Amino acid sequence: MNTLLSLTDNLRTFWGYTGFANAETGHIVMILVGLFFIYLAVKKEYEPLLLIPIGFGILIGNIPFNEAANLQVGIYEEGSVFNILYQGVVQGWYPPLIFLGIGAMTDFSSLIANPKLILIGAAAQFGIFGAYIIALQLGFAPNEAGAIGIIGGADGPTAIFTTSKLAPHLLGAVAISAYSYMALVPVIQPPFMRMLTTKKERVIKMKTPRVVSQTEKVLFPIMGLLLTAFLVPSGLPLLGMLFFGNLLKESGVTRRLAETARGPLIDTITILLGLTVGASTQATTFIRWESLKVFAIGALSFIIATCAGILFVKFMNLFLGKDKKINPLIGNSGVSAVPDSARISQHVGMEYDPSNYLLMHAMGPNVAGVIGSAVAAGILLGFLY
Amino acid sequence: MTPTIQTALFIAVVGLAGIFVFMSFFYLIILALDKYLPYQEEKPVEEFIEEISEEEESEE
Repeated sequence: MNTLLSLTDNLRTFWGYTGFANAETGHIVMILVGLFFIYLAVKKEYEPLLLIPIGFGILIGNIPFNEAANLQVGIYEEGSVFNILYQGVVQGWYPPLIFLGIGAMTDFSSLIANPKLILIGAAAQFGIFGAYIIALQLGFAPNEAGAIGIIGGADGPTAIFTTSKLAPHLLGAVAISAYSYMALVPVIQPPFMRMLTTKKERVIKMKTPRVVSQTEKVLFPIMGLLLTAFLVPSGLPLLGMLFFGNLLKESGVTRRLAETARGPLIDTITILLGLTVGASTQATTFIRWESLKVFAIGALSFIIATCAGILFVKFMNLFLGKDKKINPLIGNSGVSAVPDSARISQHVGMEYDPSNYLLMHAMGPNVAGVIGSAVAAGILLGFLY
Repeated sequence: MTPTIQTALFIAVVGLAGIFVFMSFFYLIILALDKYLPYQEEKPVEEFIEEISEEEESEE
């Protein structure tokens, strides 16, 4: 009889440790969200390199367990493996390393060949500051509003870096929001691109860009670094690494380092970043009214950024000669979802003129958007940190 | 208008102006690079060999 009682007790204790005994509605909701992300990545191929780690991370972060038992498995439990990996997000180590890889894979030629396109990358940052003001109006504190606003930059690492400094408690919501909307760029942008342009504007053909010399390509990241260091020093961790990566690529003498930065290094960091950001969305900390508001403002910021880019091109066209006009369909590329938003310019442009190749022109504002959002992050940090 | 919104507007205006100034500097730098270090087509190897052999002949 005693043995039976002991067995029952043991089974009860065992049951208390299982996920079934500790599951709450929030966990189930978040697990479904994680599965949805994995579905989007596998079935729709929306940003699979990001959505698979994030989606799987959401599953890991929302496996219900007995928190009182001090199992050291949760991402918020000090000393756990996930907590140690998460420090790269909290302390802001991962985003600059991602930027190093991005720099090593980015070709700035299209921007150097037609430098006025850089201003489109600046105009798209209206999304960041528009969302910042909206977030303040909705009752967020200034530092939280800054973190939410940065979603409009459409740049995951920048959003994570800024939020880890300004409002770490919003990290999960901001990161998930930024990466979700980046994946949904093909859905969000085209309607606004069509709405804000005329048929005549959509078929504008731009001149083939000039050839860029190797010397220009090598000097560009060095000048960029110096400019950043002197004008926006708070943007240095991101832009410094971006330009360093680009110099590794363009110098022509550090091929091995460039290949490591744009290959194994960025892949490793992407896995760690995606997984831990996903795991940070534990139902208890994530499912809140606040998170929903972050998502809503995030969507608005993407829309504002897209519209600002397109309208700015139309404004520029007022001052440009007939043969120098810019196709406003590349205005959406000012948001730094590289290269997705540039591909959308190409895709929408070809719907109206199949012989009009906008991709090479759209890459200019696209890479300018990366620089612009990092500068915006630096400015926000300068004011609010 | 609350002081918080006033501050926010100030940050937004200064921030956007800052980004445009930063990008304008970049624009000027690229223009300068193009002006002072324009692209020059690389000469084919054969042309170099011809030039060198011509120089050698003239020295002789």
